[in-house]
Formats: sequence, C-alpha cells, structure tokens
Amino acid sequence: MSTIVTRTVSRLLLAPVMLIALAVLIKGYADVGDGFSAGVIAALGILLQYLAFGREEAERMLPIRIVPALAFVGLLLALVVATIPIIGGDPIFTHFPAPGADVVKVGTLELITAVAFDCAVFLLVLGAVTGIIHNLALAGDESERSGDQR
Amino acid sequence: MLRRPTGSLAAPVSIALALAGFALTWLLWAGGGGTVETAWAPSLDLNLSFQLDGLAALYALLATGIGAAVFTYASAYIPPRLAEQGRSRTEEIRFFGLLVLFMGSMVGLATAQDLILLFVFWDLTAVASYFLISHDRDSAEARISAIMALLVTGVTAMLLLIGSLVLYAEYGTFSIPLLAEQVQSGSTLTLAGALIALAGLAKCAQVPFQFWLPRAMVAPTPVSAYLHSAAMVAAGVLLIGRAYPLLERSQLVLDMMLVIGGVSILVGSLLALGRDHLKLLLAYSTISQYGYVVFLYGLGGPIAASAAAFYVIAHAIAKSALFMTAGAVTRATGGKLLSEVGGLARQMPALAIASGLCVASIVALPVTLGFFADELFFKAAVERGTVVAVFAVFAAGLTFAYLGRFWLGIFTGPLQRPAEALATRLWAPIAALAAVAVLGGILSGPFSGLASDAGAASVLGPAEVSVAYHLDLRAENLMAVSAWAIGATLIACAGLLAPALNRFAALGDRFGTERIYFAMLVLLNGASDRIHDFEVRDLRTRIAAVLVPAGLLLAAGVIATPTEGAYVVGEIRQRDIGLILVLVLTAVAALAATFPRRHLTMVLVLATVGYAMAATYAFFGAPDVALVAVLVETTFALLFIGVFSLLPAGVLRRESLLPIIRRRQRRDLLVGLISGGLAFAVAWGILSRPTPDRGVAAEYIERAPDAHAADVVTVILADFRALDTLGEITVVAIAFAGVATLLRRGRIW
Repeated sequence: MSTIVTRTVSRLLLAPVMLIALAVLIKGYADVGDGFSAGVIAALGILLQYLAFGREEAERMLPIRIVPALAFVGLLLALVVATIPIIGGDPIFTHFPAPGADVVKVGTLELITAVAFDCAVFLLVLGAVTGIIHNLALAGDESERSGDQR
Repeated sequence: MLRRPTGSLAAPVSIALALAGFALTWLLWAGGGGTVETAWAPSLDLNLSFQLDGLAALYALLATGIGAAVFTYASAYIPPRLAEQGRSRTEEIRFFGLLVLFMGSMVGLATAQDLILLFVFWDLTAVASYFLISHDRDSAEARISAIMALLVTGVTAMLLLIGSLVLYAEYGTFSIPLLAEQVQSGSTLTLAGALIALAGLAKCAQVPFQFWLPRAMVAPTPVSAYLHSAAMVAAGVLLIGRAYPLLERSQLVLDMMLVIGGVSILVGSLLALGRDHLKLLLAYSTISQYGYVVFLYGLGGPIAASAAAFYVIAHAIAKSALFMTAGAVTRATGGKLLSEVGGLARQMPALAIASGLCVASIVALPVTLGFFADELFFKAAVERGTVVAVFAVFAAGLTFAYLGRFWLGIFTGPLQRPAEALATRLWAPIAALAAVAVLGGILSGPFSGLASDAGAASVLGPAEVSVAYHLDLRAENLMAVSAWAIGATLIACAGLLAPALNRFAALGDRFGTERIYFAMLVLLNGASDRIHDFEVRDLRTRIAAVLVPAGLLLAAGVIATPTEGAYVVGEIRQRDIGLILVLVLTAVAALAATFPRRHLTMVLVLATVGYAMAATYAFFGAPDVALVAVLVETTFALLFIGVFSLLPAGVLRRESLLPIIRRRQRRDLLVGLISGGLAFAVAWGILSRPTPDRGVAAEYIERAPDAHAADVVTVILADFRALDTLGEITVVAIAFAGVATLLRRGRIW
C-alpha cells in the first residue's frame, strides 16, 4: 500500500514532528500545549513511520525499542516529583522554587519541578502510546503469519 | 524420636515478641501507665492517641500473655499439621505473622483512645481473623466460616463508625476521654451508644449475631484458643468497656445489654450442653461466658464494671487452656467428639489435672480465680434484685453442667481410644495457664487490682473491688453452692435432657439468625448477578448501564438545583456565527454517525465529530483543549483502524450485514434520548447561568504567575491539580499494561 511518495514524505516529516513535540514540551509553561500534547505528537510521528514502512522496517530504522520503557521512567519521575517534598515536611506536589522566588531560565524553558512533572507526563504518554502501537502491530503481524499457515 | 522438624524462626520470634510485649506492658503499667499523643491528620481531627490505663493494661496483658502460651502451643501444633496436609513449611511464617498481627492489633485496640483509631484496629483484628480462620483455604467450610466472621463483624463495624460520626457531629471530637466529659444524656447519645454497643455485641458473638463464632471453630485449634479468649471476641467486650462512660449514660443501652447478655447466656449454655463436638461445645460456651460479661456491663455501676473486667481475665485464661486441651486430645487420640473419647485421665494425667483446674476456674470452684469472678458476678446480681439473682444462679448452674460434662466426658468413663504421647509444648502451656488460674485463687491481689483499675477506666471513677474467701452464709456463697448443686443435677440427668436440648438446637438451625444471614447473602448475590448479566450481555447494554444511571443521576441533580437565572435563551451576536456553524457541523456529524453500517466509515464519521468538537473549543478560546482534542481524535481513529486490521478477515463485513432488530433499535433510541437529553439540560442550565463574579477560573489565572507560568492550562495540569494528573497518567500506564497483557501476555516489547 505504501508508495515511494508516502515513504519519502513520512521520512521527511519525522524530524519536524519530533521538533514540534519538543517545542510544545519546552514551551509548555509559556504557550499552548503541554507534556501530554507533546507526547501524543511524538507518538503520532512514530505511528506515521509504522504506517509507511511497516513494523519491521520502522523498528529497524529507528531506536523504538527503548521508547515503551520510557512510560515507566515517566511514571517513576512523576512519583519522585510528587513525593520528594514530603522529606522536607511539605505536602506532596509542593513545587520548587516557591512562588515569587527567582527561576533559572534556559531560553523559554524554566527549570522548575513542575516542568519536570510535565516532562514525566510527556515520557509516559509517548512510551505508552508507542508501546500500544508496537503491540498492535506485532499482534497484527502474528495473526497474518498464522493466517498464511492456514 | 526425631519429631522436631528443623524449624523456621517464625514461632520462636513470635513467642519472643509476645513475651516482650507482656513484659513491656507489665513494666509500663507498674510504672504508672503512659500516654502517646501524636497528630495523624489534624485537618480531619484525627489523632494517634494511645493510653495505657487499667482497661488497656488488662487486655494488652491478656493478648500478649495468652498470646505467648498459645504461640508456644502452636509451635508444636502447626508444623505437623502442615506436613499432614502436604503444605509448604513457609506457610508457618504466614501463620505466625498473622497471629502476631492479631496480637498487635489487639494491643492497639486496647490502648487506643480515639474512636477512629479504635475503628482501624477493630477492622485489623477482623482482617487477621479472616485469614487465620481460612487457614485451610482448600476447605469450603473454612472459607465460608471466614467470610461469615468477616462480614458479621465487618458490617457491624460500620455501626461503630456511624456511632462515632454521630458523636463527632454533635461534640466535634473523636477522643473518648473528651467525649466522656462532654456528652449529655439524650436521644443522640442513646443512638450513638446503641450503635457502638451493637458493634461490640456482634464482635463478642452475642445473640442475634452469635452464629459466626461456632462456625469459626473450623480454624486450627491455636487460632480458636486465641480468638475465643484474648483476641477478636474479647475485642467486643473491650469496646463496651472502653465506650462505657458513654454507654452508661443511657439506661436504654444498658437494658439492651442486660437482655442480650442474659439471652446469650441461656442460648449459649443450652446449645453447649447438648453438643457432642469438643470445639463446638467450647464455642457455644464462649457465647454464654461473654454473655456474663455483657450482662454485668448491663447491670451498671462501678462494681459491675470491675466484675466484668475480672470475669474477662478469669475466662480468658481458662478458655484458651480448654481449647488447647480439646486440640491436644484430638491430636493424641484422633477423636473430635465427646462420644469418641473417654477415660483419658490415666493416660494423660498432666493434661487431665491442668484442664481440670481450668474447668474448676470457670465453674467457680474455690481456690481458683474463677471463684472470685463468680463471687463478684453474684454480688452485682444481688444488688439488682431477686429475679436477676435467681437468673445468675441458674446461669452459673448451666455453666457448671456443660463444662463438667466436657471434662468428665474426656477424662473419665471407659477408655475409648488409646492416646499417643503428647509433645511437651502441647500440654505445658495448658499447665502454665492452670497454674495462673490457681495462683489467682490464692493470691487474688494483682488480679482484683487490675480489674479494679479496668473498672475505674470504664466508669471514670473509683471501682475498687476486693475479693476474699468468707466462710459464712452470705448470699454469694449460698448462690455459689446452689449453682454447683444445679449443675451437678443437670449432669446427672443429662440423658433425660438430651432430646429437649437437641430439639432446641434444631429449632435454632431452622429459625436462627444464621438463616437470615444466608438468605441475605443469596439475595445480594442474586441481585448482583442479575445486574452483571444484564450489563455484560452485549456492548450496547454495557454502554446503557453507564449512560442510563448517569443520566438519571444528572436528572436528580437538575431537579435539585435551583433554576433561577438558568435556562434562558440568549441572543445571537455576529461573532458567534462561526461557533454556531461549527456546533451545527458537530450535531450533523453526530447524527450521521448513527447511520453507517461499515465499521471503518463509522470510525471516520466519529472522528469528524471529534474534530468538530475541537474546532468548537478553538472558537471558545481554549486552544490548549482544542490541541489535545485533535491529537487524541487522531490517535484514536488510527488505533481503531489498527485494531480492525487485527480482526480475522470477514468478521467486520459479516457483522455489518447482520439485520437490525427493531425492538433493540427502539431501546437504543430511548437510552440515547435519556442520556443525551439530560446532558443537554445540564449544559444549558450551567452555561446560561450568570457567571459568578469570581470563579475558580479567575483565581487560576490570577495565580498562574506565582507558579512561574504564562499558560494557565499547563500550570493547572502540572501544578494546581497535579495530583489529578498523576492519577490520570497512572491510568494511561495501566491501560498500556492492559494492552500488553491482552495482546502479548504482559510483554511490553
């Protein structure tokens, strides 16, 4: 089904899609979008490659193998951000720096714990959606193969 | 003979823990008690408040002291039993761990001074007992009994919680000492007191909740010994003793306890008298014995409170020993029924003497702790009047009869089955407890002191009782002698009584409260099954099961909400035209989604609805939401198509060619109208209402700069409502794990 045009276009779109996802994530605290949107955009970029190239080639071409594991990295990071304030006697999800305090900025990106939490959401959504895509694709391949045997 | 298996550390560690707990409680108590008070959740008025007062010391000493004896017994009883059943030795660790949890929660319950804390430990004892009763989890009987104990005590525990909340609503505190200072007699107190008392009565297996206790004796003997004496059942009277300052303000509650205690004495005794099964006989006797305690609390007054505490001590020591005796006899001979054993006195002299002393203690023969317990019981009864006194004598006579029958049946008469030699640890704890019972009959000081202090904690005033032997014709002595005489007569005419007793038991089986329990269980199960069957019949009923109740709840909400200013039709301005066009598109797409028969078309039309909604958000000025809506819609449409490609070829085509059933179509239309119509009503009502001056939205926008943010939506997700987000992303992770489980047996790659 995939033609040379779809393959080329998909290939060309991958880098911009990832860039947009990254931008949405970084600008999350300043502009439209957040970790969730960024995660879905990045996962859709990967889905595009699956559609254009098929599972095997897409997974050979890109380091997708590690992506589903990111879901659990993200969950862990979220829990860490949530629970670390307890050590200092604060309620969970007390973000640092406190209101009014100075914030270190790298361009638009603000180095605050809330942004770390947003990144955790990004990782989790990206990992989970990619993992689901991979599993569906793999199951599809397997059912096709067993269909061939019959 | 190498019978001792190379063991785990579980048993020695638990025995050491029990002994250490006993020593620590003793030392702290001798040092004048102690208090621990720490905030738990101050915003909810919850405190971790513990105090080692007389009542706490009494039950903590019982839980740890009898715990040590029972754990020692269990260390010789459980490993061979596990081996017989072919179960792993690691289960020993689980068993002893649960016993220690049981003990710990009893100590916590004894020392807790806060109603909510009390409730927590209360349920912990129920949880521990559930797992201990269902120790033989392959046996259906054990499982039924365990769930029954859990349900009866767990459901009634809710009464304790409700009673506590009633008191909190009135007086603003959960602390029992503070409540005791503040409460006023009245209907609120009577209601709360009755609820709390009922929870306690269910736990100590009083009529009409008595049926769970005899069932619970399917547990291994050490569990029964512990559960019937120092844990679980004792927790019931502990609660009554703890809440007594509140309960005694209401004469109605006291009278209720008096009646229930009296009925329980009679029912328990009469059923115990006719039983052939050793442990069952003891189980019914427990109901009757705790009936004494409840009866005493119901009599009211300081002497009765102290007498109740004294009775608990005397009963716990002897009853745990008697259960262990039953277990030892069964272990040695294989006989579980009175009619299967007999004449064992010569074969097991140590056991015969030790358990004989314990029986003597419960039936109140002189030179035992129990004699004083009954002396106090008679004294309190006499104060109340002749009727109560006569009843007390009759009750004590019944006790004498059934326990006499128990001991005589095992150890005297013709030898039925020869006994094997017993491991030391199967009789030494019984002997130790018997020694304590006799010691208490000689040196009663420490015991009556403890009971007086416990009584004082219950009535919040002096409740000194002193006990001694009096060789004169005072009422208590005459009553004791009459009770023995009645008991001896009853034993002598046991044969004559047997048919009547059996008929009484059969009557209980037919009309007893256990029938109600099972009937309710069947009813609830049936209702749950019917709802479940309807819900899972097909995808349509499943969706209807969500939409229709949600719609009806919304309807209730709509009816209950004041409609002032709502449901007005606003004017249409020029700039709204774009929004209206998009909304019309959404509506048309939604309607269109009901027509296609092909699944792929359906998905694409549904995606159109989603995109149109996204456009609506954009027109409303919510670009964040619009972005998410577009992304989610895209992902879902693609995932739908991906899943379709997994289905075997032809299935979808075949499904789409199935004829549509008219009746079902009408039903679906109705479901759609109910849910959609009410959602419309709610949306209209909310959106047409004039906006409040300062909504939560305004506050979020105002506070966003404080959180170093320019984008309000992101800061709500990551900061203001971060806990919600954490919950949601956890759901995403679980959904991922679910897909991996369904498709690939849990492999994520």
